[in-house]
Amino acid sequence: MLHPRYIPLVLKQIVRHRTRSLLTIAGVTIAMFLFIAIQTLQRSVQEATSVAAGDTTLIVYRANRFCPATSRLPEHYGDRIERMEGVRSAVPFMITVNNCGASLDVITYRGIPQDQLDLLARNWEVIDGSLDGWHDRSDAAILGERLARRRGFKVGDSFEAAGVTVNVAAVIRSTEAQDQNVAYVRLPFLQQATPSGSLGVVTGFSVRVNDPDQLERVAGRIDEEFRYDVEPTHTSPERAFIAQAGADVVNLVGFTHYIGWGCLIAVLALIANAIVLSVQDRIREHAVLQTLGFRSGLIARLILAEGLIVGVLGGLLGTVGAALLVHYGQFTLSNEGLHILVSPDPATLGLGLVVAAGVGVLAGFVPALQAGRREIAMCFRAV
Amino acid sequence: MNWFVTLKGYDMAFIGCRNLTKTYRKGDVLITPLEKLDLDVERGEFLALMGPSGSGKTTLLNLIAGIDRPTGGSLHVGDVELSTLSRTRLADWRVHNVGYVFQLYHLVPVLTAYENVELPLLLQTLSRRERHKRVTAALELANIADRHDHYPRQLSGGQEQRVAIARALVTDPQLIVADEPTGDLDRESAAVIMGLLKRLSGELGKTLIMVTHDPGSTRYASRTLHLDKGRLVESELQEVQ
Repeated sequence: MLHPRYIPLVLKQIVRHRTRSLLTIAGVTIAMFLFIAIQTLQRSVQEATSVAAGDTTLIVYRANRFCPATSRLPEHYGDRIERMEGVRSAVPFMITVNNCGASLDVITYRGIPQDQLDLLARNWEVIDGSLDGWHDRSDAAILGERLARRRGFKVGDSFEAAGVTVNVAAVIRSTEAQDQNVAYVRLPFLQQATPSGSLGVVTGFSVRVNDPDQLERVAGRIDEEFRYDVEPTHTSPERAFIAQAGADVVNLVGFTHYIGWGCLIAVLALIANAIVLSVQDRIREHAVLQTLGFRSGLIARLILAEGLIVGVLGGLLGTVGAALLVHYGQFTLSNEGLHILVSPDPATLGLGLVVAAGVGVLAGFVPALQAGRREIAMCFRAV
Repeated sequence: MNWFVTLKGYDMAFIGCRNLTKTYRKGDVLITPLEKLDLDVERGEFLALMGPSGSGKTTLLNLIAGIDRPTGGSLHVGDVELSTLSRTRLADWRVHNVGYVFQLYHLVPVLTAYENVELPLLLQTLSRRERHKRVTAALELANIADRHDHYPRQLSGGQEQRVAIARALVTDPQLIVADEPTGDLDRESAAVIMGLLKRLSGELGKTLIMVTHDPGSTRYASRTLHLDKGRLVESELQEVQ
């Protein structure tokens, strides 16, 4: 611990070595910005792809198909699924995307039966327009908030993507990640408007089960039901489906894990280098302080405090910068019509600050020990 | 709590060295800058140490100031035996008992004159107001109060040395040591600094030990000692000017 009366001394060392401090803090800021951005991405992917205990949603796709363009199931499967034990609802959907690959800016149309809207709308908050407008026009679309913000769409606007032109009837905010980045349109409209679509054919079904504990069992039952049909199915929990369908993205994001650690090592090296240089530069100054009666432990703590403050300042700027970028960037990782929302969370931001502070102290540890252990007289002889 | 081994009850000089020896290793070579030196310095005395380079003057000064530890013999300052103190205890002892004036001033470059002088007081539990009072007094005594907000780079050598003297004085130590305090100054500035040191000894009763190469500076001292190869070779008393 450092007595508060020494804090101004530490701050003066930082503030009055302006160029050195600014460069070090800038380096830490950039590295921590990358670290937090990567951590946020990883956490978002993990959250979107890890099956949680309370999950009740299953996705039914054509077996051995993950791309919405190739998964085609008869719409009447829905009735058979709904009759199964443990199933609360089965909503057919059709997905059309303007880009099948992994991208941060995909427009996804999700066609749903008109009478199923109320079921979905339970999780929605209409922030612009009204749901009635969707019922009034056959080409009406309800946009998730992220999609609307990212593309700047407002109620009344018309836009075209993937050869389908729609009119914006409402913008909604949803607790469901998948709703935030799609344009909901009527199923028959999409089946006819999409060049490869046809009435009675859907991409898959979104199935709600009554009991989360029955999720896997119901999935097995569905696949068993259609095993010998012309179009067999593959059913999996929604998050597991996202992980499977977006395996490329998940693997890519997994790789960035190493980049995150690389950033941390860069921060460590950067602060350590700055502190070592600063301590080397101040051998005589520290000897003078010791001559005045500063104990070696106190000098070590002054150096550690410098590292801590530089680390925390850089960490704070980098963390806040990354949080603002992620928040206002409204990034969504999309692949095969599925979406992973990238959003900041307090735990990751807190982790960033703690890590930056820890790295700052760690980086200053060896130079602080060395500075504290030097014999005063030797310092004056050496310089 | 008194951490120091005290020698109260003895009739002795303010500073006493007996068989004081210092050796250190530089690579494979064992260097003995000070060998079995005996010395007494009375309270309030202004002692000048002279001798060629490597004669052990600075080593003796550092030992008396408690910034180095002897490898043999005994050394007491006041009633404290320094040779037995640990590094930490020596640091605590220096806070209250010694002020050090360097040849190259060694002010902290990022601190103003005021802040440099305040540094030793941070080690004491004083209020900000009390610190301000003492710093102002020390700067005024060193006749540099008008430059209190200047950084070292904005001061001349003589002014920097006056700030350094104020810093040595601010804790009101009994002992002030100065290592060639005028070695980097022009004649005029040197005279001002020597006059100031003389005042500290004469008017304030500080015990002052100064290393110098300048015979002219020794006339301000009450006694001059000559060292050579770590031993005392000559001692002369001056008439007080």
